Amino acid sequence: MSNNIKYWRGEEELNRDARFLASQKNEFNESLPLDEVLSEDGFEMNSNRRDFLKYFGFSVTAVTLAACYKTNVRHAVPYLVKPEEVTPGVANYYRSTCGACSVGCGIEVKVREGRPIKVDGSRDSAISGGGLCAMGQASILSLYDTERLANPLHLGAESKDWSELDASIKAKLDSISTSGKGIAIVSGTVHSPSTLKSIADFTAAYPGTKHVMYDAVSYSGMLDANLADFGTRAIPSYDFSKANVIVSFAADFLGTWVSPVEFAKAYGAKRRPDAEGGMNQHFQFESALSMTGTNADHRFPMKMSEERVYLSSLYNYMAQKAGATQMPVVKQGELAGNALKSAAEALWNAKGSSLVISGSNDKVCQQLVNAINALLGNYGSTLNMAQYSKQHQGSDADLEAVKKGLNDKTIGAVIFYGTNPVYNRGQEWTAAIASAELSISFASNKEETATACQYVCPDNHYLESWGDAEPHNGLFQLSQPTITNVFNTRQAQVSLLTWAGALPQTDADPFAKKGILSQKFEAAPYYLYVVNNWKSQGIGADAWTKALEMGLISGTSAAGNTAYLGNAVALASEVSSKAGSGLEMAVYSGVGVRDGAHGNNPWLHEMPDPVSKVTWDNYVALPKSLAAELGIKERDTVNIKAGGVEYQNVPALVQPGQANGTVAMAVGYGRTAAGKVGGSVEKGFDTIGFNAFAMGGGVSSTLTGVEISKGEATYHLAQTQTHHSIEGRDIVRETTLGEYKKNPKAGNDKAATHVYTIWEKRDYRKDGSPNHLWGMAIDLNACTGCGSCVVSCSIENNVPVVGRDEIRLRREMHWIRIDRYYSFVSAEASMTREDDVKAADASNKGEYSHWENVQVIHQPMMCQHCAQAPCETVCPVLATTHSSEGLNQMTYNRCIGTKYCGNNCPYKVRRFNWFRYNDNDAFDFHFNNPLGKMVINPDVTVRTRGVMEKCSFCVQRIQEGKLKAKRDGKSPNDVQVETACQRACPSNAIVFGDLHNPESEISKLYRNERGFRVLDEINVQSSVTYMTKVRNTNA
Amino acid sequence: MIIKHLKGWALLAILAVSAPVIAQDAPSAEEGKKLYEANNCGSCHALDKKVVGPALRGVTDRRSEEWLIQWIRNNEKFRKSGDADAIALYEEYGGAAMNIFENLNPDQVKHILEYIKTAPAPTQEVAVTPGQPAEDNSNSIYILLILVAVFGVVLMVLSKVKNSLLRVAAEQDPEAYAEQMSKLPMWKRLLPKKLANMNTTVLSLFVTLIIGLPMAGYGYKFSISEVGVQKGYAPEQPIAFSHKLHAGDLNLNCRYCHSTVEESKSASIPALNTCMNCHKGVQLTEKYNGNVSPEIQKIYDALDYDPEAKPGEEYGNNPKPIRWVRIHNLPDHAYFNHSQHVKVGKLECQTCHGPIEQMERVQQWNTLQMGWCIDCHRNTGIDAANNNYYAALHAKAAGDIENNGNNSQYFGPDGKVRITPAMNGGLECAKCHY
Repeated sequence: MSNNIKYWRGEEELNRDARFLASQKNEFNESLPLDEVLSEDGFEMNSNRRDFLKYFGFSVTAVTLAACYKTNVRHAVPYLVKPEEVTPGVANYYRSTCGACSVGCGIEVKVREGRPIKVDGSRDSAISGGGLCAMGQASILSLYDTERLANPLHLGAESKDWSELDASIKAKLDSISTSGKGIAIVSGTVHSPSTLKSIADFTAAYPGTKHVMYDAVSYSGMLDANLADFGTRAIPSYDFSKANVIVSFAADFLGTWVSPVEFAKAYGAKRRPDAEGGMNQHFQFESALSMTGTNADHRFPMKMSEERVYLSSLYNYMAQKAGATQMPVVKQGELAGNALKSAAEALWNAKGSSLVISGSNDKVCQQLVNAINALLGNYGSTLNMAQYSKQHQGSDADLEAVKKGLNDKTIGAVIFYGTNPVYNRGQEWTAAIASAELSISFASNKEETATACQYVCPDNHYLESWGDAEPHNGLFQLSQPTITNVFNTRQAQVSLLTWAGALPQTDADPFAKKGILSQKFEAAPYYLYVVNNWKSQGIGADAWTKALEMGLISGTSAAGNTAYLGNAVALASEVSSKAGSGLEMAVYSGVGVRDGAHGNNPWLHEMPDPVSKVTWDNYVALPKSLAAELGIKERDTVNIKAGGVEYQNVPALVQPGQANGTVAMAVGYGRTAAGKVGGSVEKGFDTIGFNAFAMGGGVSSTLTGVEISKGEATYHLAQTQTHHSIEGRDIVRETTLGEYKKNPKAGNDKAATHVYTIWEKRDYRKDGSPNHLWGMAIDLNACTGCGSCVVSCSIENNVPVVGRDEIRLRREMHWIRIDRYYSFVSAEASMTREDDVKAADASNKGEYSHWENVQVIHQPMMCQHCAQAPCETVCPVLATTHSSEGLNQMTYNRCIGTKYCGNNCPYKVRRFNWFRYNDNDAFDFHFNNPLGKMVINPDVTVRTRGVMEKCSFCVQRIQEGKLKAKRDGKSPNDVQVETACQRACPSNAIVFGDLHNPESEISKLYRNERGFRVLDEINVQSSVTYMTKVRNTNA
Repeated sequence: MIIKHLKGWALLAILAVSAPVIAQDAPSAEEGKKLYEANNCGSCHALDKKVVGPALRGVTDRRSEEWLIQWIRNNEKFRKSGDADAIALYEEYGGAAMNIFENLNPDQVKHILEYIKTAPAPTQEVAVTPGQPAEDNSNSIYILLILVAVFGVVLMVLSKVKNSLLRVAAEQDPEAYAEQMSKLPMWKRLLPKKLANMNTTVLSLFVTLIIGLPMAGYGYKFSISEVGVQKGYAPEQPIAFSHKLHAGDLNLNCRYCHSTVEESKSASIPALNTCMNCHKGVQLTEKYNGNVSPEIQKIYDALDYDPEAKPGEEYGNNPKPIRWVRIHNLPDHAYFNHSQHVKVGKLECQTCHGPIEQMERVQQWNTLQMGWCIDCHRNTGIDAANNNYYAALHAKAAGDIENNGNNSQYFGPDGKVRITPAMNGGLECAKCHY
């Protein structure tokens, strides 16, 4: 029975490690360091009564005197000329396109009084579908980064005058061009039609120009494979909503691969047991436990160096069924329990509605994947090569050619746009750039590549820019500025067009024109350029206005299919060549920091990794077997050598699910010129983690011939996995699809045990407000664990960043966390509570195979707004009370910080403000400077030191929604409220609403038999219902 | 022994002086003032000025108490009963009926009348000296001075008694007395003999009381009970904009300038281009020898306005935004929304801001303290009947009245449903604090 599964969140919890047990005894990490503080200042701790009276008397007098002080005079500065669309105190929403990465999610930007304060997915966008990833959410803070360049740089010196800079750049470009040398524009993937046109205009002016794209985490292998098999160098678009069976080889498609928000949306819809066309079945073959792997029904650990072998075996299975020619078998891929066969059978049974994908950057692997999908008839259904994706188009070979050209001086000028090769393609780039006659970077801060360039012409942030995007072939989106330039920056396109002399002339320079009124976004010359571009495509003024409102241009998508031209059998000779032996390392990009481009963004570092729950660092993930062999325990480090690069004392993490014989490390860390948050050698800020790009990550996802040994140092990773112990109680529930079909209450049929209550009868349905009763439902099947909600909540509710040291002390402030529970898969290793001892025995005997096979449940946890809340009964000052609408209210101005409520909360969701995080330079993130504060939500109090805080169900949004209905005289049932976490969720796992409205989605979910309430047995009557996790393991 | 007795007396003396003034049943102006404010009498009446209704000062001389009680509690019934004065008054004000206040019992009305009778006359207009609290604090100072005097007398009496006793003691045993005197510490010898002779504990007790108590009282008055309270705050503004002229004499609607009051949390200080809607033309040159009024000129300067420029370019490149001094400063942890109160609650601006149309310079009229908010939330009815949002609440209230009659909390003075914000969760913390 699934009820007996033992869940654990970390090895320390599983093995009842002494440090863990000690830490769980105390609600808070340590008692106040009073002795320490007092002894420092020469105080004596053994103060007697007279000292006490002295201090007491002094304090009273001081407080009295301080209170007599006059209040500051405050000012209010209204607009001189109020923009018509702005109503002070009311937010405007603008559609745009996210520029955090090249995926191009359609977004909706919330703007208050002219400053963007929140970014969410646009529901009309086919890419984001209303959700947005953590990085997209967090990218708004990059706009208010004090370390953005305030002015362009020439040879490291600030130069305020763009025209002077333009003249000198133009002169150099002209001379390089006439001397016949090449000019290279090196960019990330660009799919904006107008940007491409500006580059084309630049190329027309300087004919020796070549535009080269590359992706930091490369998709070259896949693109080249598709060029060979389809004649188009493009990644197909994927439709996961049509895929009944998904087999993924190390493709983290829910977290980072190709277009994760788009995929999570479609996957989430098919993940419900009662989904239309049935719940999908997901097989994952991988070495490192990825976030996508944690969501799979069947996950098989393997060495990715054997991927070709496995794919060829899979191909042969399909070929046999389809009657096609099989490949000569070199080696049969085999996994425990004949996993490959079960996946193959499932795929064949779901022919035409299945999907095989691979995260490898190996052309041969990708060609095999193409061949399998072609045999299964998936093209045209789950894959589409006509409306192919343009989100990743980079070419590693092209980039190498540029480096070569620079080194042998055939390329005279190089321009970097949205790329950082010195960081992610190796130090040789510094020398290559130095040999160029002219080097320009459009970077917005002084990052690694910009430091090496002669000129830095800082680009606008995407929220300051006009633009467009074509994420899929024929699918167009628009971007518009939501704030005027914060710094003296200029859009990269404008720079290129200025140098090319192709910038459209507006009446005059808009900012030289007389008058306040003229300073409008529409006066920007690049606006004219984009509009003219679309006018030539038949989008007139009216259509343009409408398109801008929607954020997209509809009705232009391309049609038709592209035939598969490949021949897998010809690949047979390639298959044997790469079978690996020895230790290998998976190099992956983490869900938060990804490729490190946003390395200076504290929200992303503070967000716990979805799988390991580590913050603020990367680490080497080891399988249990290797850890035991090397004698590595918690807080140990390793020395690791791969790709000719050796790092000493890298933090080590024993990662359940990591395949034996492999280790894993994330790219995106080890930035040396990111800034004060992400590390900067020049400014004297420590780097964060180690740079795995330097070992060859990014270009290849698997490094072989890795050497590892135990490091001398120890290191305390700021890992949140076992903070907030819930004492092994019955928190998560799961069942299988088969059981669920027999009984919808399967896995969830436990009755509440305690019914006593210390409250007088509290029935908010009956005695509360007749208008509303708020509730939330979270589907454990749909939740992928991506952490977007965590970042979204932090932005909406002004949750401070506390930094690595505070997290080590268990003082993270997130109002919502995602608890990740492990359990063992295989029968012999499955551990019920009684099996604790047995398991410990097994570990001692050196049997670790069960550590490779773990199952995972992600459970978002926030204040449960209990009707009979334990926190409310213990507050001595009534700072936490219950509202008639079912909310557990937290009143900061009443709280005196006893922390009793935190102690008494069974869900451990209350957070104490140990410090004043705003205006405090000890927390040098964004709350301590005027620019960083621009992102603060003006409708939510910024909490101070000494008060408790917690999830409020976004009460500010509730109040806003109610007020709107009241003003319009609408019924309470028409109140539309979405919490920040719900709004951000890419897979629609979170639903919030009014339980008084029987037709609301939340009411329907409350009636669903899959629902359970966490810790229902203690009768706190929480307002959050979770949907039992259903695994599609025996469908 | 004797000393011990003295201690007892001292305690008694303190108790006697500090015993509270015993509460009485007589009409209380203080109580009346609270009721006056809670029932929003001020939204139609002023003490010294005819507003919607007549000026109230001296009303107790004009009418009998009985008459007033009947009129105030239910003027409609009173008129129907045929009272000639009542009908005459009704007609004098063009048939605009006064609201019904049956929620007030006759005693409460007497409180209000007492307040009207004793309310201090305005010093001069409503304008007060800039930057100074309008409230008169002299009363409390007098009370403190009286206290000091009383304690002084008590001290003298006690020291007299003690000295007499000591004298008796000295007569009985002169040597012991001399010895005791020689033991006095230096600082005591410097004091007048009478003081020096006192027991140290008693002395310090009195010093504490005489200096400390008034100080504590003063501290309480100005620090603890009044933190951040700026009632009467009327700072000088960069432009001497007169609400009396615009909203009073010219009778402009408040919403014309404070245009966002019905849709936003902020009523918003109007942008200067709103001023320019009128002041492009209105320049008051006739008053200033053909020059633009200096105050209006400030608007032009702020906008860098060039009247000769072509339309769309008349505002120049050197604008100087106006830094108005904020008068109403809510703490950051209190959320207030104008549209909730003005659009949904249908309150008049004057309910909170006072007779703004009479203010030459704006001052903060109310304390804006939480107690003041709560009072209003307890006592003001919501127009639930005409807003679909409140339909369920209204139905619930009507049902409650049907079941419980006038014992229902929803039973209003007119026998109809009366719902206050408090009955709809309007006192819950997270309505304003989040």
